[in-house]
Amino acid sequence: MTATPALVEVEEAAPSSAPPTSGKRVLTRITRDKGALACLVFLAIVVLMAVAAPLITKISGWGPYQFDSAAINSDLGGVPHGALGGISGSHWFGVEPQNGRDLFARIVYGARVSITISLSATLLTGILGVVLGMLAGFYRGWVDQVISRLMDFLMAFPALIFMIAILSSLPSGNRPVLLVVVISAFGWPYLARVIRGQTMTLANREFVEAARASGAKDSQVVFREILPNLRGSIVVMTTLAIPGYIGTEAGLSFLGVGVSPPTASWGQMISSSVSWYSVDPMFFAIPGLFLFLTVLSLTVLGDKIRTLIDQGEAA
Amino acid sequence: MLVGLVASAALALTACGGNASGGASGESAGPGAKAAQGGTLQVLANAAFSHLDPARGFDGGVNNFYRLIYRTLTTQGAAPGADGTKIVPDLATDTGKPSDGGKTWTFTLKDGLFFETGAPITSADVKWGVSRAWDPEIGIGSPYAKQLIDAPASYQGPYKSGELPTILTPDAKTIVFHLKKPYADFGSVVAQNTFTPVPKGQGAGNALDSKPIASGPYKVSEYKPGAALKLVRNDKWDKKTDDVRQANPDAFQWTFGLDPATIDERMIAGQGTDADAIAGTIQAATVARVQTAQLKQRTMSGLGGCTTYMGLNSTKKPLDNVKVRQAINLAVNKQTVRDAVGGSTLADIATSIQPPTIAGRVDYDPYPSPDHKGDVDGARKLLTEAGFADGFTMTLDTRAQPKMQAMAVAIQQALEPLKITVKINTIDTATYYEVIGTTSQQHDAAITGWCPDWPSGATFLPPLFDGRNITPKGNSNLAQLNDPGVNAKIDEIAKLTDVQAANKAYGELDKQIMALAPVVPLLYEKVLMIVGSNIGGAYLHDGFSGGIDLVSVGLKDAGK
Repeated sequence: MTATPALVEVEEAAPSSAPPTSGKRVLTRITRDKGALACLVFLAIVVLMAVAAPLITKISGWGPYQFDSAAINSDLGGVPHGALGGISGSHWFGVEPQNGRDLFARIVYGARVSITISLSATLLTGILGVVLGMLAGFYRGWVDQVISRLMDFLMAFPALIFMIAILSSLPSGNRPVLLVVVISAFGWPYLARVIRGQTMTLANREFVEAARASGAKDSQVVFREILPNLRGSIVVMTTLAIPGYIGTEAGLSFLGVGVSPPTASWGQMISSSVSWYSVDPMFFAIPGLFLFLTVLSLTVLGDKIRTLIDQGEAA
Repeated sequence: MLVGLVASAALALTACGGNASGGASGESAGPGAKAAQGGTLQVLANAAFSHLDPARGFDGGVNNFYRLIYRTLTTQGAAPGADGTKIVPDLATDTGKPSDGGKTWTFTLKDGLFFETGAPITSADVKWGVSRAWDPEIGIGSPYAKQLIDAPASYQGPYKSGELPTILTPDAKTIVFHLKKPYADFGSVVAQNTFTPVPKGQGAGNALDSKPIASGPYKVSEYKPGAALKLVRNDKWDKKTDDVRQANPDAFQWTFGLDPATIDERMIAGQGTDADAIAGTIQAATVARVQTAQLKQRTMSGLGGCTTYMGLNSTKKPLDNVKVRQAINLAVNKQTVRDAVGGSTLADIATSIQPPTIAGRVDYDPYPSPDHKGDVDGARKLLTEAGFADGFTMTLDTRAQPKMQAMAVAIQQALEPLKITVKINTIDTATYYEVIGTTSQQHDAAITGWCPDWPSGATFLPPLFDGRNITPKGNSNLAQLNDPGVNAKIDEIAKLTDVQAANKAYGELDKQIMALAPVVPLLYEKVLMIVGSNIGGAYLHDGFSGGIDLVSVGLKDAGK
């Protein structure tokens, strides 16, 4: 994070001759930047862990739900045997107190939950935000009034309190789906507001008027003229939204209204590690570190992409 | 009584005599040392008391607390171990005189008994207090008075239906109870909270929940529900009339609503007034921190006196098959279940239904496995015989509480090799007992617990396994076991006039029930607590879910 402002200045100082907002250009520039590259590599590892979770735990030898009574000391309240929370050859990240579940396996499976929920929520908010934002910005009038008031309402609403209330009152059911729906319901206005504003500006631009003058229908104007020009904003907004949703999911799981046990989740691991902080600090440090690095990487990367796209548009 | 109620209150107060000998041996150091008179004893607690009204509250925590402000006809002793669960006279001069073959019981009140108001306690006040148990809104506590004492079917408590005609008070000192049928152990029943005297004509509605009328050595001076409670001496109480209560401190100060982790930290640090404090059982994560010699001297531990078990609903398929239930009993890995609640320091492994504190209990293990780690092969054989070699899916109800969920996950894991898929259904803590006690809503299995109301099988086996007690709501027979053999045996034991013989028979009935495997006994949970360095006279009371007996505890140096 701290490196980002400096990088921004460097980028601005060096005028780019590359074509505007090209995906290839963004990618090349990121891979040239050490900080951003490190973030990308870390994210690749996390995604790989999530995708290949069953395979990885087969190699490490312990499943995420498998108990190992031998790894914990029953006489001392279930504290892991050995230093650093029981880190050993067979348990690479140590074990969970009280049941001896392998932390490595739970981190790997926890990555699955975090990634799936945050990506699904991003997709859903992306669709909702773009569609509703463009409708409001393009048609104006009463459509805009209705959508904008709804957005104001949702953004002014104490979302976290409402999420906790609604998730704890709903039956257990399919927890991940519920989480995605609830997170998305409160997440889309942030994207939609930006999209609405941009659509309004774009709709008055000459090329849109030219398209209209040559007889283009509304749908053609929207999909051929306006949407392609919103691409940059959508990419930036969604990239920056993912870490937010990962954080929200972890936060809700921490508060006990996220995914239900025994499903592994980073937030839940952090929550159960709180009481163990003085006896077994590694139980807190490991999931905490993964959550921190994932959110940091995504934020740094999102920032970077924004800078590059802004430059591209300016060029 | 249900263990859940206890668990919340056990947070408020629980404990024992750390080293088996150290508890009450009167050493100069440690919580067992002699307590002086005076001072203010602090109690740090997470959950507030359920009720201050004696007819409403009914769990190990409030039962212990009630002895400070209320007196009953008889009460439990004030001593560690079995002496603590012995019934001794309190307001009455003895533990009751039966007549008519145990169907009529007569008690005589002592002289010199007064309420905090200065009014004398008469037999009419005791009668008024007892009859409140029939009030549908007030009588939600101990059910024994209602179950045993003969009363008109339409009777709804003194405020709605007037005086109860079946309890007689021939004079101000004598009270006579007529029972529905002979009951040998009625002397223990009148130690229940419902036998607290309430001044005739008072205590309607919620009056006693906010302002109790004390008959014991203390009275409530300040009560902020959910935040704080202060007791000060009741100067109308006369020590000469009371052989049970030492009443050492001048005042008790409860602080409620503290985070369990905060309580542990404060108790370990023991700074300021926390040196005069007691608290509930420590968290599993704190166990490893109290192993230093210095802190060990301040810890006390012992059995909570309850059984934590998993009920198997015998009306659901395939749990209606006794072999399937037996297979589950064999397969559950009780080691991992115990580790889930905090390991060997916080729980013992349960093998029989009745916990070790119950008189006449037999120690046996009907479904043995090496180190209690579960006999998967034996279980598989039984399942194959029953025709479920390919397993099945069952739903396990559990409370939305980390400890209970951890236990559920341990059971889920233990049954996985048998291809039994356990779906964990987490229910909100507030509605949990209501849901699993409603026969139409309960699922295949549920984790819960039971504590004896006094240490006899009579308060353990009939409420949980008498098939005729199954009710659509508020059902405690989770297995819905309705076995003619068990029912007949329960009736047979109820007819025994010798309490000891009855307790012994309950020990045998325990075996007979476990052969049918309606429940999986999981744990006898223990209490482990840290007390302040200035605490004396503290010991674990078996009758109050292992709480520190409040009527005996005090400060070593009251001037501090």
